Amino acid sequence: MDTQVLGQVPRIIGRSVVRHDARDKVQAATAYAADWAMPGMLHAVVVRSPYASARIGRLDTTRALAMPGVAVVLTAPDVPRNTLWTDVPGQTTAVGPLRARLHILAEERVRHQGEPVALVAAETLDQARAAAEAVEVEYEPCPGVFDPEAALAPGAPLVHEGTNLLAHWRVTRGDVEGALASAATVVEGEYRTQFVDSSYLEPESGVAWLDADGVITIRVSTQVIEHFRDVAEVLAVPQNRVRVIGTYLGGGFGGKEDVTVEVYLGLLVLRTGRPVKMVWSRQESLLGRAKRHPYLMHYRTAAASTGEILAHDITLVSDAGAYAYLSALVLLYSTVTAAGPYRVPSVRVDARVAYTNNPPTSAMRGFGAMQMVFGYESQVDRVARARGLDPVRIRALNALRRGDTLPVGQVIETHVALPELAARAWAGLGEPSRPRAPHLRVGRGLASNFQPYGRIVWLHDWSSAWVGFEMDGSLVVRCGAPDVGGGQASSLCQIAAAVLGVELERVTIHISDSALTPLAGTTTASRQLYMSGNAVLKACRELREQILGVAATLLGAEPTTLTLVDNAAWAPDGRQLPLADVLRQCARVGVPRSHLGVYHAPAGEPVDLERGQGKVFPDYTFGAHAVEVEVDLETGQVRVRKHVAAHDVGRAINPQSVAGQIQGGAVQGLGYGLMEEILLEEGINLTTSFASYLIPSAADVADVEPVILESGEGLGPFGARGIGEPPIGPPAAALANAIADATGVRVTTLPITAERMARALGLLGP
Amino acid sequence: MHPFDYAAPGGIDEALALLSRHGADAKVLAGGQSLVPLLNYRLAKPRMVIDINALDLGAVGLEGDTVRLGALVRHHILEESPEIAHACPLLGAAARLIGNVRVRSLGTVGGSLAHADPAAELPLVMVALDAHLTIRRGGGTRRIGASQFFTGYLSTSLEPNELLTEIEVPHTVGKGTALEELARRAGDFAVIAVAVVVGVDRRGRVDEARLAYAGVGPQPLRAHRAEDVLVGHEPTAEWVARAAGVARGTMPTHSDAFASSAYRSLLVEVLGRRALGQAVGRALATS
Amino acid sequence: MIVNFILNGRPRQIEAPANETLLQTLRDTLGNFDAKEGCNEGVCGACTVLLDGRPVASCLVLTPTVRAHTVVTLRGVQSGDDLHPLQQAFLDHGAVQCGFCTPGILLTALAFLERHPRPDREDVRVALAGNLCRCTGYTKILDAVQAYVSRPGRS
Repeated sequence: MDTQVLGQVPRIIGRSVVRHDARDKVQAATAYAADWAMPGMLHAVVVRSPYASARIGRLDTTRALAMPGVAVVLTAPDVPRNTLWTDVPGQTTAVGPLRARLHILAEERVRHQGEPVALVAAETLDQARAAAEAVEVEYEPCPGVFDPEAALAPGAPLVHEGTNLLAHWRVTRGDVEGALASAATVVEGEYRTQFVDSSYLEPESGVAWLDADGVITIRVSTQVIEHFRDVAEVLAVPQNRVRVIGTYLGGGFGGKEDVTVEVYLGLLVLRTGRPVKMVWSRQESLLGRAKRHPYLMHYRTAAASTGEILAHDITLVSDAGAYAYLSALVLLYSTVTAAGPYRVPSVRVDARVAYTNNPPTSAMRGFGAMQMVFGYESQVDRVARARGLDPVRIRALNALRRGDTLPVGQVIETHVALPELAARAWAGLGEPSRPRAPHLRVGRGLASNFQPYGRIVWLHDWSSAWVGFEMDGSLVVRCGAPDVGGGQASSLCQIAAAVLGVELERVTIHISDSALTPLAGTTTASRQLYMSGNAVLKACRELREQILGVAATLLGAEPTTLTLVDNAAWAPDGRQLPLADVLRQCARVGVPRSHLGVYHAPAGEPVDLERGQGKVFPDYTFGAHAVEVEVDLETGQVRVRKHVAAHDVGRAINPQSVAGQIQGGAVQGLGYGLMEEILLEEGINLTTSFASYLIPSAADVADVEPVILESGEGLGPFGARGIGEPPIGPPAAALANAIADATGVRVTTLPITAERMARALGLLGP
Repeated sequence: MHPFDYAAPGGIDEALALLSRHGADAKVLAGGQSLVPLLNYRLAKPRMVIDINALDLGAVGLEGDTVRLGALVRHHILEESPEIAHACPLLGAAARLIGNVRVRSLGTVGGSLAHADPAAELPLVMVALDAHLTIRRGGGTRRIGASQFFTGYLSTSLEPNELLTEIEVPHTVGKGTALEELARRAGDFAVIAVAVVVGVDRRGRVDEARLAYAGVGPQPLRAHRAEDVLVGHEPTAEWVARAAGVARGTMPTHSDAFASSAYRSLLVEVLGRRALGQAVGRALATS
Repeated sequence: MIVNFILNGRPRQIEAPANETLLQTLRDTLGNFDAKEGCNEGVCGACTVLLDGRPVASCLVLTPTVRAHTVVTLRGVQSGDDLHPLQQAFLDHGAVQCGFCTPGILLTALAFLERHPRPDREDVRVALAGNLCRCTGYTKILDAVQAYVSRPGRS
């Protein structure tokens, strides 16, 4: 840690400051993407396939074009480059390099319900919707496949060409068969997790227009402003002719990581020359946006009589839906984390993801690592019960330690606080609650997890930020990082204020503009504090040196003896110079008052996972949740009575923000565990409404007590680790473990609805 | 939403005249909590919307044995009214479970009954309470019992030219009532809901039992055979359980994406037993 | 048709077709973005406004029906630039993350507290059960409302 900034740091770093964006939001002063109108603006609507698998026969837009107010109706031939190709890493031995396609508008075939087929723009939204209904499409349904195992079986209908196998990852370490054959305890389990939806409160939205010099400007709710390149490719225009302005999001959770409305808006602006607005309805979002990958997980776990886990044999099958999106990477995360945060000498993982005619699956908070928690923590709990160990003890016994190697060959280089997290979460439950009625049973469960933060090391991640003083000493930060609501922007301000000795109120930040802010990469993978925090830190340190160099001359002191605090430069003898004076001098002598910082994450080369060759992720965040549940033995209803969520965040830049992330992620995890499910029948989505797709309300959850550990060893600024994703991992497993404690019954399929619990209790017959 | 003509009649005769002329192509707008979502989704495309909110149908009164509710009485009134809490607490219990606070601000008793959602609480309690509905048309007035009013899935006996204007509910003072339901999430519609009215005579025997279920078919159903099991007996836990078992055996259930027939049947019995037990306890407490 | 109503204390006269919701009128005609569209079916609560003091889903109110009524959106609760103490409590307790649910929750809480000035935490939890939030997990929202309820100086 930089000792020169120590004076200021404790006053701002680690303080629960009120976020600048919260101040706006609490007054409804934030202009979200839909809170925007331009003169002459058209309204756009996507026409989507009602069929999961069909050929497109006749597509006639004549009637739609003739309807009142309609400006344009576009189909595939109208899109300059209608197909985006991506290289999908798939592991050379089984699959080879794979090219995956994505159509902007369907050509000849639709492969999932909701696939976009046409685009309509009209003067009003009602006119656009009416015209969308008038687009005539003749579909010829053709056989589809709706289960990944069926998709991988010989003779299955092909979703694309060649094979339905999209990616296949394998890991082998040690002697799994030998361990299974000789172990004191072998626990075998099959676990199923479901499709879920991000369900941010703010639907996909954006407004685009043609700006000066023909720059297509797209103001959109997005986690990735770098999609301006995808838009440029589709429109066949130079990349410098597309600008994405990312708004403060009303939630992202991975659902706004892929392109959502940007390409449609770009197409329509290019075509009509007019501003265009597109806001998805909730029904459209539930229907059309990518979902979380469901998993079928098969575990065979070998344990010693003393409770050490000796081996895991893990088979994973997942569903990519009709298009690849990020499925191969999600599967990679699953493969790397499937054995859990434990030192397991022998591990075999065989992971496959297949195309089906279900809705596409892609990024969502936890990105393949969170689903695994249900598998490995259910197994650990069963081993603990078999060997008579309590939940804290078994985790303390098996937890990874610094210096251990993951099955893929990555050495854990930072502190693993797992035993302490488990103990504190468990202790946080306090005295056991009494059941409130004779038909209720109370039980407790623990689950721990680890979640990577920062991107895969061979992606050579980097971020940049510009920091500059105005003449009066107020500070401007410019950074491309989108803010999804987790305080991404605010944390950067805190860091800048701390290092440069400026009051937080005198820092302004501009974020998320691909033309005007230095690119900072995606707000995903729990990477933004790590990457952009370090970029801001770097920029500030350099700028500080520049400023103090000039201040030193004015004060007649050594630069290394000076500090920047309270908007002034201070000499050790107490003499100080107001910052504005120093900055004026900088201008006089030609020293820049700003600096662009670029942070490159330590990079690595692609790893052959199967041979266990090395580092995949920069680092991990560890956590443990404990829940107490009450199970109604007559109806199967499960209620959460208590919830404690402990995570080692390295360093909490804003403890209140960190607590909020933990609580929010924990409740999303509870929703995943108890009630959320996208129901599909032959690829048709039965849950396209908030009345049928249920996310938790305040009455469905208990207060979440956050426990924040700061081990100080994260790779982010001041030792911070990423906290965006980790809290969503443990709750479902903790619930299942608590239910097992309460009832003796193990539920292995999510979500644990009342009916599923009733069935597991034997209330519904054989 | 699709465009439509809009009329806001100032009185009931004007409203009935509009219904006579346009009823087949028109939708009545009261609270809008059921109609407007359909308009927003473009699932309903009426030629005309007749806004009846100006009609004088919001009165709540207690006359003798009867609670009289105008069709435009909002759900929150049922929830908040001390008179209703005393005379017929089942109405408040039902209202409290309806959707969320926003729905209860505007939703009306008449609207809920006319919409006839099979899982809705107010249709259920009206059937349990043997309420009578007054229906008016240009040519006259008729009265119909709640059980006859609901005819099927989202269907009632209302003709396109008719308006539900008043609901008469026999009070339950001196009796015990209860409402139980299971929903998949707070505020979600019920998978199964059960409403119970129980009267106990001076000898401690059940002299009146009404047990009605929602979620067991296209409309709320009375479990008459289960009721018969209880009448004439002391309401012991054993008799209550027996009645709930008979209800399970006689109430039809179906499977859909959200719950299976077997689970619904389980709930018929469990919730039935719990509601009967509560109602019995309250009945005994009043006697 | 012409619709006259009181919005945030001021009489307004607007032209709106019958097939327009109050949410649309507020946002598209009046440029008031306080209420948000989250689901357009009355479930999420992001579009909550106060109609004659009661929380309603503005996505389910046809604009002509507010004729002669009073509508309050979030800005109507503030006086000038000063935050309402409940807004301040939300800031103090970190109850705002993405902020999309926040206006609806603030209005719902205020309307509830008008009628129930001394609720306990579980009362507040139930009162807010109709307002969905995807970011906070609700704990800090309840903390903020509780703090507001028990703030010093409250009669």
